[in-house]
Amino acid sequence: MATPNQFYFEDVEIGKVLETPAMTVTDAHVALYGGLVGVAAGPGGVQDFLPLCLSSGLGWRVPQPPVVVLAFMGFDWKFLQPARVGDTIRSASKTVAKRLLKESGVIIEERTILNQRDEILQSGKLTLLVARRPVP
Amino acid sequence: MDAQPGLTFEDLRVGEEYDSPGRTVTEADIVIFAGLSGDYNVLHTDAEYMKSSFFGERIAHGLLVLSIQQGLLERGRPARAREMLVGIKWKFKGPVKIGDTLHVRARITALRDSDTLGWGTVLVEREVVNQLGEVVQSGETEHLVGHRPG
Repeated sequence: MATPNQFYFEDVEIGKVLETPAMTVTDAHVALYGGLVGVAAGPGGVQDFLPLCLSSGLGWRVPQPPVVVLAFMGFDWKFLQPARVGDTIRSASKTVAKRLLKESGVIIEERTILNQRDEILQSGKLTLLVARRPVP
Repeated sequence: MDAQPGLTFEDLRVGEEYDSPGRTVTEADIVIFAGLSGDYNVLHTDAEYMKSSFFGERIAHGLLVLSIQQGLLERGRPARAREMLVGIKWKFKGPVKIGDTLHVRARITALRDSDTLGWGTVLVEREVVNQLGEVVQSGETEHLVGHRPG
C-alpha cells in the first residue's frame, strides 16, 4: 500500500489531469535565479528555464499525494511564449504512458505551463523514474 | 553598427565548438534552488535518508544543473545580439553530487533559415561533463538567432 502521503508507480493513473496552484513570477525570482545560476533574463524579462523550475515545486502542491520520483530522466520541451515578470503561472499535467521495469517504473508526463490568461507559455513531455509500491 | 552588440546568425558556423569554464556545485546551490523552486524532494534535501539510497548522498536537482549549464555556456561563448530559445531535448544521465565540478561542451550542429522573418534557426548539441569526464546531462537545444540587420 502507498502510505497516505505517497503515490507509487501503481497509483499513477494515465490521463488524469492535475493542475497546480498558481504563482506570480516576481523580480525577486528573476534576481535570485539569475544570481544562483548566472543566466541572463530572456526576451520577456524572465529566464527561459525559470518557469519550468517553478513548476517543479508547484507540482508538489497538487490535490494528490506526491509520487515517489527516483530520478528525472529527461524531457522534450517547447518555449512558445516568453514569461513576463508579473505573470501568474501554473502548470497542468497528465501521465500519458507508463512502463514497468524490474524494481521501478517509468512514466511519461505531458505538462503545460500557463499564464493568467490561460495562454500556454511552455509545454512538453517529461520522463520520470518512479518507485514501485513496496512489497509488505 | 548593430543596434545591439553581439554576433548575428551570419557569424555562426556549423561545427563551431564552445568549452565553458568550470563550476563546482555546492550544498548552498542545492539549498537555495530548493527554496527558490519549492522542490524539496528528499533526493535533494535529506542527507540522512539519502545515505541509505542508491545514490548514497544528496544529489543536485536536474533542473538546477540544467540551469547552471546554461549560465556556464553563456560565459563560454561570444554573446549574440538577438537570440530566443525555441526548444530543448534533454537527458539526465547521471547524478551530480555536492562538490562535483561541471563544465559544458557545446557544438553547433545545424544552421537553417527559419519561418520567422529576420531570424535563423540554430541547433546546438550540449554535454555537461563532471571532473571525472563523465557526461551527466546532454541534449540538443534549438534557437532563433537574429540576422544581421540590413
